[in-house]
Amino acid sequence: MHKRGMRDWVVPSIVAFAVLLKVCIGVGSYSGEATPPMYGDYEAQRHWMELTQHLPFRQWYTYDLQYWGLDYPPLTAYHSWLCGFIGSLIDPSWFALDTSRGIETPSSKLFMRMTVLVSDLLIYIPALILFTRTFLPSPTRSSRSRSFALLTLLLQPALILVDNGHFQFNSIMLGFTILALCAFARDKDELGAVAFVAALGFKQMSLYYAPAIGSYLVAKCLWLPAPANVRLFTRLALVTGASFGILFLPFFLPPLASSPLDILNPISRIFPFSRGLFEDKVANWWCASNVVIKWRRIAGDGEAGRRWLVRASAGLTALGFLPAVVGLVKAGWGLRVREPSVKKADRDIHEPKPLEVSSTPTTDPPPFISLLTYALLSSSASFFLFSFQVHEKTILLPLLPLTLLMSAATPESAPWKWGCLVNNVAVFSMWPLLRRDGLAVPYVALTVLWDRVVGYNPFGVRAGVGVVEVLGLVVHLAAIGLHLLELVIPAPARYPDLFPVLNVLICTPVFGLAWLWSLKCGVEVGWALGGYSSSSSSSPSIRDSKSESQQQHSGFEPIEEVATGSGAQWGEDTARRRNVGGPDSGVGDGVW
Amino acid sequence: MSLESQKDALRRRASATFHSVKPDASSQDTALPADGDSSMPPKQTRWFTWNVTRADWDILIVSTVIKLLLYPSYRSTDFEVHRNWLAITHSLPISQWYHDTTSEWTLDYPPFFAYFEKLLSVPAYFIDPKIVDLQNLNYDSWSVIAYQRTSVIVTELVLATALLRFIPGSVDPSIQRIISATLFLHPGFLIVDHMHFQYNGFMFGILLWSILMARNGNKLASGILFAVLLNFKHIYMYLAPAYFVYLLRAFCLTPGGQVEIKNFLALANAVIGVFIASLGPFAIMGQIPQLLSRLFPFTRGLNHAYWAANFWALVTAVDRVLLRYIQFTGANISVDPAGVASSSRGLVGDTVFAVLPQIKPIHTFVITVFFQLAILVKLWRNPSVKSFLTALTLCGWTSFLFGWHVHEKAVLLILVPLSLLAAERHAYFRTYLIASVAGIFGLFPLIFTPAESVVKVVYSAIWIAGVYGLLSRRVYEYPKSLVYVIIDLCEKAYLAGFIPLLAFVSLMSLRNHRISAAASASSASGSRGHAGSPSGAASGGMEFLPLMVTSVYCSIGLIWAYLRLGSIYLFEESEYQGQLRTIQS
Repeated sequence: MHKRGMRDWVVPSIVAFAVLLKVCIGVGSYSGEATPPMYGDYEAQRHWMELTQHLPFRQWYTYDLQYWGLDYPPLTAYHSWLCGFIGSLIDPSWFALDTSRGIETPSSKLFMRMTVLVSDLLIYIPALILFTRTFLPSPTRSSRSRSFALLTLLLQPALILVDNGHFQFNSIMLGFTILALCAFARDKDELGAVAFVAALGFKQMSLYYAPAIGSYLVAKCLWLPAPANVRLFTRLALVTGASFGILFLPFFLPPLASSPLDILNPISRIFPFSRGLFEDKVANWWCASNVVIKWRRIAGDGEAGRRWLVRASAGLTALGFLPAVVGLVKAGWGLRVREPSVKKADRDIHEPKPLEVSSTPTTDPPPFISLLTYALLSSSASFFLFSFQVHEKTILLPLLPLTLLMSAATPESAPWKWGCLVNNVAVFSMWPLLRRDGLAVPYVALTVLWDRVVGYNPFGVRAGVGVVEVLGLVVHLAAIGLHLLELVIPAPARYPDLFPVLNVLICTPVFGLAWLWSLKCGVEVGWALGGYSSSSSSSPSIRDSKSESQQQHSGFEPIEEVATGSGAQWGEDTARRRNVGGPDSGVGDGVW
Repeated sequence: MSLESQKDALRRRASATFHSVKPDASSQDTALPADGDSSMPPKQTRWFTWNVTRADWDILIVSTVIKLLLYPSYRSTDFEVHRNWLAITHSLPISQWYHDTTSEWTLDYPPFFAYFEKLLSVPAYFIDPKIVDLQNLNYDSWSVIAYQRTSVIVTELVLATALLRFIPGSVDPSIQRIISATLFLHPGFLIVDHMHFQYNGFMFGILLWSILMARNGNKLASGILFAVLLNFKHIYMYLAPAYFVYLLRAFCLTPGGQVEIKNFLALANAVIGVFIASLGPFAIMGQIPQLLSRLFPFTRGLNHAYWAANFWALVTAVDRVLLRYIQFTGANISVDPAGVASSSRGLVGDTVFAVLPQIKPIHTFVITVFFQLAILVKLWRNPSVKSFLTALTLCGWTSFLFGWHVHEKAVLLILVPLSLLAAERHAYFRTYLIASVAGIFGLFPLIFTPAESVVKVVYSAIWIAGVYGLLSRRVYEYPKSLVYVIIDLCEKAYLAGFIPLLAFVSLMSLRNHRISAAASASSASGSRGHAGSPSGAASGGMEFLPLMVTSVYCSIGLIWAYLRLGSIYLFEESEYQGQLRTIQS
């Protein structure tokens, strides 16, 4: 009785704790604090709230571009407008046109911090809760594993440091992406498409996910039986087109825009191809290999060289996410529905229904949804590693699917290990940025806290452990060594960038390996799915081995929890155990 | 088992929480986290296991992370005060410590604290010599912030270890564990130590060690520790009467009233020894009068700048309201012009009453002693550990409510010992809840910068919710009669009133922000001298209102909770203390 009463409070407590941490870190400094004339990302966001407040749509993407011109898609602009509107109600001087530039009063700072926090509470945190409910559903997974997943995701140090410390709104974009993922998993593809358009419309960076999501939808259309697939395809095309249209409406519709060609203003601002291969030191392939191979010298100066580099990076990126795309499409084609009723019965292992009740398969997501998260990871990691103009903060994009995989997996499983390692390394890769922002103490504190919460100890390597642990140990020792070195010795005058470059050289291999690992998992899960569908349902031994491999490699396998909890949980576990390897266990079991 | 009997069992268990089990060496050494953690089987390393020591570590890590994140937060002048003391003790000979006036923040804590600062100044010098430079006033580089804030976190481990040691000897360790955790995470410490800046965690750590010794039957050690504490910070004199009576009655006298000459001499020698170690050097140099004049500056007013939520805040508010009433109605009552001036000044300067008779230090002293005597007589008659703890709380409480020039931070003297009694029974829990909410809210005005204000509110709200969720059901009792039902309802209404109060205070600060923003805008746009002053005065008056309302509302709760605990202690206690009476001797 007592325990059950407490259980209702677990999720609110976790959220309250996360909010407390975010509020506390908000007390500290942010990007470009007290550094006139240009300040930093904080001032950029504030400036957008200011200009959207006072200018008509047609000037949003053209006004004084030298001073933090708006270069994010329209949803960011609308969001800025809303924040600026509310802020102006409280104190108009915070967002007065031009005169408010660089305003840093304590109250304006608090308001800005609150915009991030409230956006979190409205979009990102509900999305995470929805994720835990969707991918760790109640009968198969305990509420404890859901709480664990929520805590893992909410306290993810990299995102808190960038959004609530450095100051950005990445969580909105990531939240929309999670919402899209959940919608797909709940078989609401149109809703998912809208959510993903919202993510794209908030930050163009979410294009990193586009190959995975696009190929998932293509696969879905291939998978469905004949009339339904065309219908879905049409609906998706219409919905996506319409949402983009509405999003950009004020920028090409004549009364608001001076001419339809005005649409080029936001477009050219959003995709700045005139910049360099990379700006700061980023832990990606180009920056890391640049230590040995001077890419700019090879490509030659000028427009031709730059174009060559753009092409090379685009090609490498495409190669990087190709396996994931192919895997998804192949799975969709290989598993395409011929006998819907059989599939349905396979999936409903817990509550077997009579065949005649089974509805059309469109009420359930396709089995290859388990590939989607891996594909999101492969695709975003490939963009991060190989594409053009990458920022160090962009590591947040591959980090999201990886942390989703990790949070749904058992501790000590492969996704969990990779998730822990890459999360820590990602925070470390942002160290030069965080140090500039004066976030050194939160950097250490939040990373230690998160490792404690998820139970990760890179130094607790025992005999007979896997490669990932050894890699983790080496990387962590190197990172700590680098920090100590930086603390003791100033950078030599000949190589002022020595420490950032060393940082890149430590981080890039880890990110590269994580990308390869995601490809490998994608192939394995795809093989398990495809292999199962092609074999007929006659040989249970084969199916058992397949479902085992599925259990190891799909991210969302159920946890065999130690029965320390209540009787209900223990009952769940035994029920699961009875089902594992039973004659009815099927492919979808791992996810559903 | 029926619901009723289950509840009954819970209640019985709870009522005996503080009842001490005879200390034995083995039970004392089980609480240290390091031992437990290393012996844990590796299988249990998941965060969820409700393993004893792992949870303790979690609490320590979580609270440390929050404190680390608050490094750059607002710090009061107390930060510079302590930095200056580092400089004084480091760069001046001991003979100059209580004479130096380079900074306006002269050393006004007893010698042990000065020695403590001397100790801290040694590593400080190696980290950044400018920290201990006496002339380097208002130094606030990152090094000194990090150093001083870290020293607060580290010295707070004294509190943590004391709280851990409380668990094994208690009757119901699971409840004591909760109480220990809530005390370690107390918002009072977060606000006063980790934002405002002081070393209360360290000081209360010593106090709790002393109380722990008393509980474990080692009264001599308890007395020595309290003497040490007094020489760290003399505000703990508020608690001294209870200590004096308790140690005299329970340690120096037999239950029959015979003098235990050996105990008496041991205690007296030890306490004198502590005072010699502290004051000795200054006595030799003949500086005792100078030292005392620093420790007890009797030139201050009745209320501290911001009124502590005590009895005098209520009286002052009544005076202000009467004055307004007279000014409006023109009633024929003599008004002290100095009081009118004092009321229009708001918070600044001494409080002078306009209508009511003036209060002198002797009045406050007499009232304090009168109430304390009633409590001490009870303690003399019933010198059990629990009785001692209640009397200790009430003693501090009396001083807080009726003392002269009481600081709002002194409310911790009530909240900390009261926490140890929280789960005794429902009546105590209620008292604890009301006092904690009112006391913590009364600390809020210490932190007035916008970002930090959000932190203090969010943190305190989570803490209160946690305390309520974890403890309330364990001690719940049905109200016995209609009177109790009505009291219960009034108390709930009072507690609920803090939400509108918070909204009011926040809206007022928002309003003041807009007024001052408008004032600065108008003064920037032209007539600077004229436009600035009237609006400044107007906003000044309104700035005062939320503080006054806060003080008065919190003081109502604290006075009510005081009466509640006092009446329980004086009149009701014996009914409930059957078990505890047996360990009187």
